[in-house]
Amino acid sequence: MDRLIALVLLRWRLEARAVLGSRGRLAGLLVALPALAFMSVAAAFVAFAFARVGEEGQPELVLPALSALFAVFGLTWALSPLLAGLAATETHDLGKLLTYPVSLPVLVFSSLVANVLQPTVLAQVPPLAALALGLGGGGPRALVAFAGLAFALALVVASGQAVGLTLHAISRHRRLHDRALLLGLVFGVFLSLLPVVLLSRGGAAARRLGLALLERDVFALVPFSWGARAAVHAGRGEALLFLGWAGGAVLALAAVVGVSAVLAQRLYRGELDVGEAPHARGARARMRLPGVVGAVLEKDLRLVWRDPRLKALVFTGVLGPLLLLFILSQGVAGPPRPGLLVGLASFTGLGALGANAFAFERTGLGLLLGLPADRLSILVGKNLAVIALRAPALLALSLATLFVAGPGFVPAVATVVLLTQILAAGADNYLSILAPVPVPAAGRDPSAPVSGTRGLGAAALLLVAVVATLVLSAPLVFLAWLPQLLGERWLFALALPLALAGSAAVYFMATSGAARLLERREPELVARMAGED
Amino acid sequence: MGEYAIEVLGLTKTFRRQTAVDHVSFRVARGRFFGFLGPNGAGKSTTIRMLTGLLRPTSGDAVVEGVRLSGDLLALKGRIGVLTEELPLYERLTGEEHLLFAARMHGLPRPEARRRTEELLDFLSLADERGKLVVDYSQGMRKKLALACALVHGPQVLFLDEPLNGIDPVSGRVVSDLLRRLTARGVTLFFTSHGLDVVERLCDEVAVIDRGRIVAQGTLDEIRAQREMGGAASLEDVFLKLVEADVRREDLSWIG
Repeated sequence: MDRLIALVLLRWRLEARAVLGSRGRLAGLLVALPALAFMSVAAAFVAFAFARVGEEGQPELVLPALSALFAVFGLTWALSPLLAGLAATETHDLGKLLTYPVSLPVLVFSSLVANVLQPTVLAQVPPLAALALGLGGGGPRALVAFAGLAFALALVVASGQAVGLTLHAISRHRRLHDRALLLGLVFGVFLSLLPVVLLSRGGAAARRLGLALLERDVFALVPFSWGARAAVHAGRGEALLFLGWAGGAVLALAAVVGVSAVLAQRLYRGELDVGEAPHARGARARMRLPGVVGAVLEKDLRLVWRDPRLKALVFTGVLGPLLLLFILSQGVAGPPRPGLLVGLASFTGLGALGANAFAFERTGLGLLLGLPADRLSILVGKNLAVIALRAPALLALSLATLFVAGPGFVPAVATVVLLTQILAAGADNYLSILAPVPVPAAGRDPSAPVSGTRGLGAAALLLVAVVATLVLSAPLVFLAWLPQLLGERWLFALALPLALAGSAAVYFMATSGAARLLERREPELVARMAGED
Repeated sequence: MGEYAIEVLGLTKTFRRQTAVDHVSFRVARGRFFGFLGPNGAGKSTTIRMLTGLLRPTSGDAVVEGVRLSGDLLALKGRIGVLTEELPLYERLTGEEHLLFAARMHGLPRPEARRRTEELLDFLSLADERGKLVVDYSQGMRKKLALACALVHGPQVLFLDEPLNGIDPVSGRVVSDLLRRLTARGVTLFFTSHGLDVVERLCDEVAVIDRGRIVAQGTLDEIRAQREMGGAASLEDVFLKLVEADVRREDLSWIG
């Protein structure tokens, strides 16, 4: 028992030090905690009202609705390592503790206990308590209902731990691991879009499907809902049904903890081999593009394509403008006005801002800046990669324009996107040199949040860059759109190449300055990225 | 160009209020195998990062292969090869892609980049792992790859921070033989290692840095003579005396 307590305390101490030792994380926590508390209290009111109104008005809907809610909540939480690339609650790094004479079930259980008492988990307690009060109406029934809900929460947290371990198991096969993360991220994006779809004009079919699932109580099959069902029966005084569902939830919890222990045991003894790392001698690697610009461009494209988080950014970059178009068109009868398309094209082009050319480098920056290639070529190569990675967004918006406004608008919209991207990439060079994204020290998780990431100064710089891009692009956008305003479409043949040439000229002036700035600030940039400044 | 590949004059680096390197001065003749020794945190890696243009000195200057640190850093980077302790590599490139990339960034023509990549992969026993992502490489393989990147353009000065640490004995022998051949051809090697037997075997000359200051420099015989230690004293004995190491000899109370 004292080993378990020591492990739990170790975990809390490490987390407290991680927060207190980093101003950025401490500030984040100070902002997040009141927000978490507010959300928790608000959710408690909603949960209480839902239980009371539901039990009094439509008691037959309470069970399926609560089951659906807990199923979605459990699934989202458990898949959080995949959905966000970051677990809502973390698993102990068991690898560091394996040399001690402590059994794996104790290690796994200590990790679970440490997780249960984390702020994100504790924030779920007030809504659950309110829900129990709403279901049981005070007294012993509410207490028993709360026990059922607590089983449900414990199962959710334990499942998150098991998913984290599974992800660790497949991490041996890097590309498989990356694919799993990407799928999770894509799934996460779809989940976050679900409310928009349900609320929109086109969401009637989805709503009908949801109601059909509720009527058939399909979510009762999901173990995350079993504790909640037990709570409902406890509130209604149905002891046998409570025992049945609560027993199921406890069994599911034991099974998940058991699976985690077995998984951890096999994983850390090297008995679990989910596919081997891909081997080797296949086709020869090629770097096809010429020159320094080509080498940097090709390297960045390969890195992004193989990194699930970066790839997901590209994916969301495609969805962003389409989603905005979808939302904006919801309240409009008929096709969107051309002015809206120009605005959307500029917005899409601005996506190149904040790309932070050196963020992709992570630990490779020391190598890149140790090479004798001229800095203008490096910046141009990186900017071309940024623009190439946003080509799907350009394509998606062009297709959307084709369908909603007709083919006549497509060249102008595509030109506005491209010229804004070019100017935004030029402005972003200054941001990446003056306010780069630092990487964690060697040996740390390269994706973990780092102290000293862009602060208020950097936010101000970003604002300046946005304004500069908009100001510089305005005359060129006007030039690109002028034939439409004049009603002389044949003028597009002249105006569009001129607008693009103008943006290229401004870009090269800006980027030459950025290259000189980079030469002067290289050592500071490397130190900043290594978190040493 | 003078007879010295590296000339350092009063190089100093201060991080906030802590001085990591304190007015360091030394010279390394061309074609020498120069060992740079010191305990952990003595300032070795900081000195290397300043000499390779990756860290700006707080004061002082240095000339590497005729290029001042305060001058054209790109020219400097074209003449040197660097293997730093933290192994800056792109984790999601394969080993082969990584080498091709480094070769291209050094301006090698495509066929030459390909030829040197093949030779280096074979030479460092990485050919069978050429298609693996760097993130899946072991520490020793990463070190070999980083070393290959430092060698691909044929540098005149090589800065190697712990090059043999973590490499298997066979590859270690291959690498140390290669380094010796490079010095025979006039390449200057600036080398740090905690393996004093390796330093004793390979280096023509050493400098010892402790708490940011150079405490001794010369051949091993010269340092022995300076410190009045007999000819039988090993580099380890000399080193421990130079850094005034407190080597505790008493036993632990619970171990008999």
